[in-house]
Amino acid sequence: MTGTKLLMNFEVTATSHRLADYRARGGYATLEKVLRDMRPEEVTKEVATAGILGHGGAAFPAGRKWGVIRLNDEQPHYLCANADEGEPGTFKDRWILEHAPHLLIESMAIAAYALQVRHAFIYIRGEFDLAWRRIAEAVEGAYAAGWLGEGIAGSAFALDIVVYRGAGSYVCGEASGLLTSLEGRKGYPRNRPPRLTVRGLYQMPTVINNVETLTNITGIVRDGAAAFRQVGTAKSPGTQLISISGHVQRPGVYEVEYGYPFAKFIREDCGGVLGSLGLKCVLPGGISTTVLTAAEIEPLVLDHASVGAAGSSLGSGGMVVVAEGTCMVRFLQVLVRFYHHESCGQCTPCREGMGWLHRIVDRIVTGDGQPDDIDRLVAISKANDGTTICGMGDAAGYATVGIIAKYRDEFEYWIRNGRSKYGGRLEALGHEWVREAALHG
Amino acid sequence: MVEIWIDGDRVEAEDGQSVMQAARASGHEIPYFCWHPALSVPGNCRICMVEVEGDDASAGWLDIACNMPIAKGMHIRTDSERVRARRKEMLQLVTLNHPVDCGICDKAGECTLQDYHYRYNGEPSVSRDAKVRATKHHVLSERIVLDNERCILCSRCVRFTREISKSHGLGIQHRGDHSLVRAVENGAFERDPYSDNVIDLCPVGALLSRPFLHKARVWYLEPTASICPGCERGCSVDIWHRKKAWTLKRLDPAANARIDRVTPRENPAVNGPWICNKGRDLALVFERPRATAAMVGGEAVELEAAVERARELIAAARHPAALVSSWGSNEELAAFHAAFGTRFACHVKTDHLPEPGERLEDELLIKPDKNPNRRAATALYPSLPDAPRAAFPAGCDLVLVWGEGCDFDALPPGAKVVHLDAWRHPAEFRADVFLPISVQTERSGHYTNFAGVVSRFEACFEKPATVADAEALFAALAVPARVEAP
Repeated sequence: MTGTKLLMNFEVTATSHRLADYRARGGYATLEKVLRDMRPEEVTKEVATAGILGHGGAAFPAGRKWGVIRLNDEQPHYLCANADEGEPGTFKDRWILEHAPHLLIESMAIAAYALQVRHAFIYIRGEFDLAWRRIAEAVEGAYAAGWLGEGIAGSAFALDIVVYRGAGSYVCGEASGLLTSLEGRKGYPRNRPPRLTVRGLYQMPTVINNVETLTNITGIVRDGAAAFRQVGTAKSPGTQLISISGHVQRPGVYEVEYGYPFAKFIREDCGGVLGSLGLKCVLPGGISTTVLTAAEIEPLVLDHASVGAAGSSLGSGGMVVVAEGTCMVRFLQVLVRFYHHESCGQCTPCREGMGWLHRIVDRIVTGDGQPDDIDRLVAISKANDGTTICGMGDAAGYATVGIIAKYRDEFEYWIRNGRSKYGGRLEALGHEWVREAALHG
Repeated sequence: MVEIWIDGDRVEAEDGQSVMQAARASGHEIPYFCWHPALSVPGNCRICMVEVEGDDASAGWLDIACNMPIAKGMHIRTDSERVRARRKEMLQLVTLNHPVDCGICDKAGECTLQDYHYRYNGEPSVSRDAKVRATKHHVLSERIVLDNERCILCSRCVRFTREISKSHGLGIQHRGDHSLVRAVENGAFERDPYSDNVIDLCPVGALLSRPFLHKARVWYLEPTASICPGCERGCSVDIWHRKKAWTLKRLDPAANARIDRVTPRENPAVNGPWICNKGRDLALVFERPRATAAMVGGEAVELEAAVERARELIAAARHPAALVSSWGSNEELAAFHAAFGTRFACHVKTDHLPEPGERLEDELLIKPDKNPNRRAATALYPSLPDAPRAAFPAGCDLVLVWGEGCDFDALPPGAKVVHLDAWRHPAEFRADVFLPISVQTERSGHYTNFAGVVSRFEACFEKPATVADAEALFAALAVPARVEAP
């Protein structure tokens, strides 16, 4: 077990995502209570006291973000749930959208009440199908039952939620790119300042939170900030949904209490590495985080402070496990191909740099690498650090610099010998059918 | 007023300014590609990175100047070690997929990227990988061709069509280093009467004028300040023509007196930094076939003979009338008024009517009257009414016609006609005396635009030897009425 469960605390059945089942679990009672007994600023205060960190990757305190919104400033505010879960290796929000859509809606209603929002949006990744059908159905059901629309639960509070499907662009998961896309324009991120909480959607103050962050709001308000702080560590209260994939025995979504031992999580809860191979490294929070070797994760616990101290980040909780015998040059090739494909092309360092990274790694893989190419890769990554409009340039840089710093010998080997140190493998050799194929051609 | 320091100099900046604006206002140079004073701030070229000096509590940091609001007491470095290193990096990235085909690029010599490369980088590309290929010759409209390989995706052109001309005619397709500027499919860019401004806005040689394509290297050309006569706005323009020092003797001497291109000359009181496409096509106005021979009764004669004949006619006239050009400069109008103002019945004529399909008026620049100096002319004389006959005095026996656009059939029958014009029209043979005059590009003067703003134009070329300046002609033709014996 991975500690207290705040979100995955019910049995998933064929009907558990439905409104009736959710009501039976006590759903929408918190919203009713909030609308009856609490003032908006009390809700915000509760969330701020709980100290919940954003689960989208940057771990920015949600309460601080909410605190920027000035109530009664006579302009519309908007709330947006960021369900454009596009970080490779991350699929935790999908679980919420598929299995707990009403929890998200109730949480959004509470958040909207706290922030004086009349219209809220769920921007959902275009590739999601079941998740989209479930959340769309849930929004419809909530309208029918009177949990959305005018006069919710007999109060004067009104809220409309619009579910908007993206078209599958990675940068539209970046908050400002998402809002630009939501406005119907090309998904280009925006420069800060101004912050989105000052001028966001349609130039109005906008709070945009990750789905998992928002989903926690109901629990925080229901049980109180103090109860929330009981879970997790002092600096990272609560839990984190971790979607684990790669060379791991039992991939999937796990809810992990902050502070849970990192290595134990992989070894015991997820069944260890595929085919009982050794662990080579882990990308702890999506591919945009610095890679951590097997030795590095040994003393770590799963919270932002601990993983941050090791020079990486828990990011969006999209953990990718890499087994011994995997070629890190090919691994980086996959990553930079993705970044090249997804760079929006707006600002110079990322637009030109991503393609350059991709072309250099491709050239190394085809055997035409030169010794100074490795330093060039690092230099391009550094040129992207803090110079781009959004965080994508930095993210690609962290991934690239991390892999090169820790597996430089593999790059040097390929450049020197024109071939991979590990046969160019991305599959885990320990997996039954891969071993079969390797043995018998 | 907010007090900040830029490179150690104390600068009084205005509230709400960005660091870029404050630096420019105080004469500190920060390079930029995508920023433009008249457009929104996209912050995408990242070349304007400056260093904000830290204090004891925090280290300094780099950020783009164009989007950085000034804060009281901030210290900015535009030329620190870190800033210079960042600029070099950015220029390496900007030129990574830029073809650097300056040798065949029309923009060479006035290219921002070229200038910045030599000023801030100066090193060859460190890349050994192939450049991204894209369309070299994409026809964006009848007037503009786009080289996507040279494009650095600063989005100035896109923002211009959205924010200034409001045609929304351009957009960016695809993403990453395969992004392409393209015209929208509904033809809005083709119809945009301000489209050519994107050529000037382009900081590199991506957007090029098709009429000017490969016509001249810009360092052989020089601009002369002039005024577009296309409408009563009277936009300030630069007429580009070959430098005297580079006069062609053998290849094509006609090129020496040719308008190579017209660009806007920034004038906040009249046109800001823009002009419309009509203003770009001044060659179509000025380089029409010229009337260079003086004529008497449809037969070519020496200019002096024609002037003498005109003086006789004027002296003999009892009830003379005149049609005054709305294209004459303020100086010419003054000379005309001094010569004929009291004796002649004068009316201001419409020299040019709008072309079929031409935009009549909009909110940006274009005004309905297509003559540059009607305001100054109508300050002296009334406009010619729609029924011109009524405008002529009874028994009118002489009409002095100055400029184009005269309906000779509407003149009083039997009246003698003295006609001054610069261009060849069939009408020159109908006048009793025809006197060829110089055009705007051959003389200097002033126009008064619709709002009363007076602007000056300079001479670009020598006038042909056989034509006269209208100003001098008026003085020569000013003869008193012959007093006949009773």
